[in-house]
Amino acid sequence: MPREAEPSLNEKQFILQALQENLRLDGRQLDQYRPLELTFGDEYGVAQVSLGKTKVFAKASAEVTVPYTDRPLDGVFTIMTELSPMASPAFEVNRPNETEVLLSRLLEKTVRRSGALDTESLCLVAGQKCWSVRVDVHVLSHDGNVIDASCLAVVAALRHFRKSDTSMEGGVLTVYTPAEREPVPLGWLHSPFCVTWSFFGDEGETAVLDATRAEEQIRVGSCTISLNRHGEICQIAKLGGTPVEAVALLQCTSLALTKVKEFSTVLDRKLAEDSKRRDKSGRAAELTAENDR
Amino acid sequence: MTVTAAPQAALSVLPRADGSAKYSHAGYTVTASVNGPIEAQRRDEHAYEAHVDVIVRPAAGVGGTRERHLESILQSSLTQIILVKNFPRSLIQIVLQIEATPENDYVNTKLVQASLNFSIMPALFQTAILALLSAAVPMRATATASVVAVVPETKSKKLVVDPSPRELEAAQSVHVLAFTSQGELLLAESEGDFTVEEWDEVYETAEDVCCKSETSKSDVDMMLDDDDDDAGPADMHQFIRSTLEDKVAADLHWK
Repeated sequence: MPREAEPSLNEKQFILQALQENLRLDGRQLDQYRPLELTFGDEYGVAQVSLGKTKVFAKASAEVTVPYTDRPLDGVFTIMTELSPMASPAFEVNRPNETEVLLSRLLEKTVRRSGALDTESLCLVAGQKCWSVRVDVHVLSHDGNVIDASCLAVVAALRHFRKSDTSMEGGVLTVYTPAEREPVPLGWLHSPFCVTWSFFGDEGETAVLDATRAEEQIRVGSCTISLNRHGEICQIAKLGGTPVEAVALLQCTSLALTKVKEFSTVLDRKLAEDSKRRDKSGRAAELTAENDR
Repeated sequence: MTVTAAPQAALSVLPRADGSAKYSHAGYTVTASVNGPIEAQRRDEHAYEAHVDVIVRPAAGVGGTRERHLESILQSSLTQIILVKNFPRSLIQIVLQIEATPENDYVNTKLVQASLNFSIMPALFQTAILALLSAAVPMRATATASVVAVVPETKSKKLVVDPSPRELEAAQSVHVLAFTSQGELLLAESEGDFTVEEWDEVYETAEDVCCKSETSKSDVDMMLDDDDDDAGPADMHQFIRSTLEDKVAADLHWK
């Protein structure tokens, strides 16, 4: 497989000097994201996110399985990230590279371990039957900042997803098909988002949001902060790179909160638009079998 | 869910790949990217020709034996039409990402172990061809595929082009046929019970879907072709052609 082409010395110098003068190649502010696009598919649980030229596609699905023996009261929730050569010819099939491992670890920590999805609500019969919810993340085009785009796609797909309705009567579990009963949404507790800062300069003094691939290749360090719109931090990952001042990190975190609030409003708005689009007859409220929490 | 009757396609949807296409028809949506000719790995390197690598990735779940089967079918038929001898020791990599498949509302499907069937073949095939054209990979001819199912009815049988999941369940046999732009048969795969007479009927139906205009009006002048465009593409080959013509016209708009 061909290796990813590194930017030339001239290109590096040009980008770095521009950043020192608070300029970016695409004319953005240092703390500005590329235009964000979020679309949902015809089926439930399909979300496509694009940040500039970065495109990520996520699909949520569910099926009934047997729970793990050590966690009989919990459902199964997995996030699958596999980078295909579609994102960049440098990625190989069935051989995870560093980008892929980091991406899946970060998504795991942000969405799964922060308890965004209520896994206890996925339990159907304790120790015997539970829902297994899975999200597949497909990176279609890699132009930097795949982490933030993937996280948004995963959260959007899960919040858009509907699983089949079930009922328990006299010890008999019935799973209804979509034709019999309207599917129900997942038990969702909070929506965490990732915000990745890239650091440039000898001391890492220039902090930049939503780096493109060229910027990612020459940065000296990065820090991914995951938090929800209430300002609750799920994780902070700064894996190696140049050390950064603690005060600068605090500033990054508070700026990240404003970005997360923006993501949150965009997602809420898009979800509302989508449910309006689906609810043409205006009878969704009658059809739903969902109870208020 | 509404299933659009007419196929839809967009070329060069991915900015980083050499060529890409997105195609949706009969409830299936597939995105493809083509990179090539690129450096091949040692084990894939052929001294006299390019290696064509096809990767089919399901929307949910990891690919299994069925996907590998589809990949091998696609690989062997695409190798036939790509001019592989022009690029010795290199690799042409085609990645097909399935984004949507028609759902059967009457059954709860097992999704974690993804399994595909023949009905997705035309979508995969057409997307691969469009992406190859978009990547400007030299080819002997273009090709289109179609799927036909033989569904038993009371006392008789009917042929269904692009069967829905429910029709597939009832089908006795499913056939995938691909034809090149010269109207030659490129691929014929079948599964299920069928007789030779049934297969002949299937062949004619599939030929109609893929390349009706080539066989019926080979010597009709261009004026008639233009009239046809208003009514939508007559067959799959016409559709691929008009998609490409539109793209070229849009790209050369500045001229």
